[in-house]
Amino acid sequence: MPDAGFIQFKYLDYRDWQPGARRMRVENPGFYVMSPFAEAWVVEGALVYDGMSGASPMWHDTLSGASGEGIHDRRAAGDVKLTRYFDGFSVGAGVAYSHENDYISRGGSVDLRVWTADKNTTFTFSYAGAADRIDTPDGAANHERKYVNDFLVGVTQALSQTAIVQSNLTYTRGHGYFDDPYKTFDSRPDNRRVLAWLTRLNRHFPDHHGTLQLAYRYIDDSWDANSHMVEAAWVQPLPHAFSVRPNLRYYTQRAAYFYFDPPFPTGLVFGQPYTADTRLSAFGAFTLGLLLAKDFGGGWSGDLKVEYYRQKSDWRAGGNGSPDILPFSARWIQVGVGKTF
Amino acid sequence: MRRTRLAVSLALLVLLSGCASFAPPQPWEKQYLATPAMQFDADKLDVRNTQHIYYSKEGAAGGYGIGGGGCGCN
Repeated sequence: MPDAGFIQFKYLDYRDWQPGARRMRVENPGFYVMSPFAEAWVVEGALVYDGMSGASPMWHDTLSGASGEGIHDRRAAGDVKLTRYFDGFSVGAGVAYSHENDYISRGGSVDLRVWTADKNTTFTFSYAGAADRIDTPDGAANHERKYVNDFLVGVTQALSQTAIVQSNLTYTRGHGYFDDPYKTFDSRPDNRRVLAWLTRLNRHFPDHHGTLQLAYRYIDDSWDANSHMVEAAWVQPLPHAFSVRPNLRYYTQRAAYFYFDPPFPTGLVFGQPYTADTRLSAFGAFTLGLLLAKDFGGGWSGDLKVEYYRQKSDWRAGGNGSPDILPFSARWIQVGVGKTF
Repeated sequence: MRRTRLAVSLALLVLLSGCASFAPPQPWEKQYLATPAMQFDADKLDVRNTQHIYYSKEGAAGGYGIGGGGCGCN
């Protein structure tokens, strides 16, 4: 159980683009607070706000391009979670709400954590459910519904004084409306099952005062957009209570079985699943990032993180990326300040 | 193909775990494990923001916890 509270504010500035076109910008202030109370309880909550502007998605879009209207959307989301700690286990329950002018999501979750007497092993069991409603201003989606159930089983194990590993298996099952209502002819199956297996290892190197963080995730998707992700980061403390954390991530996925290559709308058969959404194409992606953090003393801390992301068909592992797609780039910057209390 | 992928996944898992020997620490030997760099998802807003971006730009997502609610970004 945490023995101190923590409050944090973070501002995210996100932009993405493709050759010859700047597309989308998101500005996102976020607020998080966590506090223990009454000896055995912890309450935590977050509020985030997204202000989106630009022209996304990119292909065959009914809002951008042809109509020239562009997208101006706002998203406000919040969640609260309450956890009760007992001897050897904890039980938590939370609710979440997200609101956009065309999309409302309501969710709830419960989790159970059980740890061994030496606290070197922790098992996690979680369930979350969400009910979403989609209503677009142009009527393409009219009172559509989507329901998603998530199940998570995880284990965290301290391997030694300097190493800890965590492995989480998440099974997600959804049914309802999965189409992108802003994409012409977009028609997706009305159910989806995703199995995500994430394993992470943190290893401290006392001689270098640094920590290596490794992660690998495999996703098995009933739409066939299976993927592998590997990420590595190094946390290095510096003089004057500064620290830096460079990170490198690689992601590769295959295309969904109903994704069709350009020219649009090749492969379209009415009544059959169809998408030209490049997020469901076959590609690879790299992220390169750098975090600079400082402990100001008195419980105050600050951080600045910059990440650059690029997707290319050619970067798909083993080749065979989807043809005729322009590379996609994004960069995001996060500035945060936190206070322990 | 599916078997190959499973084999690759298992190999990577073994590789990840194999980077460290198995000698669980005593309670008084946890000073390194207690540092922020050794925590998973220590910065909740960073994880939330970053995974939200990947969720909206990649085919499928998950693994980093559940219960945050959905959005119309994918």
